[in-house]
Amino acid sequence: MTGAESPAQGRWVPWLLAGAAYTGFVISLYLTFVHYRGYVSPCYVVHGCEEVQTSKYSVILGVPLALLGTLFFALMFYLGIALLTGPRVRAVRAYKVLAFAGALAIIPLFLLQAIVLKAFCTYCVATEAIMLVLWVASFLLATPGRSEAPDA
Amino acid sequence: MNTPGNHLLASKSAPWIGGSLLLLLAVAALYLFTGAAVSEPARTPPPGADDISFGPADAPLSVVEYSDFQCPFCAEYAAMLRTLREKYGDQVKFVFRFYPLADHPWATITAKAAYAASLQGKFWEMHDLLFENQKEWAESDDPRPYLDAYAESLGLDLDTFHADADAQSTTDFIKRQAAEGKQGGVNHTPWFVVGDSVVLPRSLEEFDKLIQEAL
Repeated sequence: MTGAESPAQGRWVPWLLAGAAYTGFVISLYLTFVHYRGYVSPCYVVHGCEEVQTSKYSVILGVPLALLGTLFFALMFYLGIALLTGPRVRAVRAYKVLAFAGALAIIPLFLLQAIVLKAFCTYCVATEAIMLVLWVASFLLATPGRSEAPDA
Repeated sequence: MNTPGNHLLASKSAPWIGGSLLLLLAVAALYLFTGAAVSEPARTPPPGADDISFGPADAPLSVVEYSDFQCPFCAEYAAMLRTLREKYGDQVKFVFRFYPLADHPWATITAKAAYAASLQGKFWEMHDLLFENQKEWAESDDPRPYLDAYAESLGLDLDTFHADADAQSTTDFIKRQAAEGKQGGVNHTPWFVVGDSVVLPRSLEEFDKLIQEAL
C-alpha cells in the first residue's frame, strides 16, 4: 500500500510539514514587514541580524529574500494542507521538488552568512533549519499510485 | 438545503479555509506587532550630575540614550536626535551614555575619544562627527588617524585629547555606564529612555510624538 495516508508514513507527516511551513511563513513574514516598514532596528548585544538583514545580499533583483521566503513557505503550507486532505500525486511531487529546491537554497544562504558576512541572523538560521526539516521530512512522503490517488 | 454532497464539499474545503485563515491571522498579527511602539518601565539610573547632556539641567523631561558609535543603527538615530535636540533643546535634557558592544572593535576607542572631547566641551560636536563619518573609520584598520583629524577640526588640544582618551578614569567612566546599563536591562543599542519609560521609536515622527506626549 502506498499513499500519503499509508500506515508507514502516518497522518502526522502532513501535519509536521504544514506546521513547519507555517512557522517558516511567520518568521519570513516578520522579516518582510521589518524590511518594508523601513524600520531602524537596534544593534543587539548578540549580533548578527542587523548585518545580515541590511546586507546587499538580503535583496535579489529588488525583491527581499524575506518576501521570497514568505511566498515559499506559504506555498509549502498549502501543499501540506493538500497532503492533509488526501493522497495527491502532484502535490507530493511538487512538495518534494520544492523541498529539494529549498534545501539547495540553504547552501549559498548559509555560506554568505558564515564566510562573507561573518554574522548569523537567528531568524535567517531558523528559516534555513525549517527548510532543511521540510526537505528531510519530504522523504517520509510516499508517492501515491495514480490509480488510488486522484488529484482533484 | 443540506445534502450529502454539500457536507462532502464543506469537509473538503474546511482545511483550505482554516489554513488560509491561519495565514491571514499571521499577517494581521505581525502587521500590528511590527507597528506597535515598544514601551516599558526603565530600570537604568536616572540622569545624574556626571552625565554628558544637552539641554537644561532642570528640564521637565529627559531623553537618555545608551549608544555605541560603531552601531550603524545608532548612526541613523543620531540624525533623528540631532533634529530633536534642535527642536527641544530648551525643554528636554538629552543624555548620552556609553554602551560599546563587544562585537564592534572600534566602539570603545571611539567612546574614549568622545569622552575626551567632552572634557574639552566638544562632546556633541565629536558625537556628530563620529556618527556622520562612521563608515570611513569603522571600516578602517586603525581609526586613530580619523579621530585625530576630527579632534583637530574641532580645535581640540591634541595632547590633552590623547591623554584624556588614554586615562584610566575615562575607561572607568565608560565601563561604569555600560555596566549600569547592562544591569538596567540594556541589551541593544540604541536604547532610549524617555522620562521613565524605555521606548524604541521607529521614526523621527514617532520619536517627536513620544516627546510631545511626555512633555
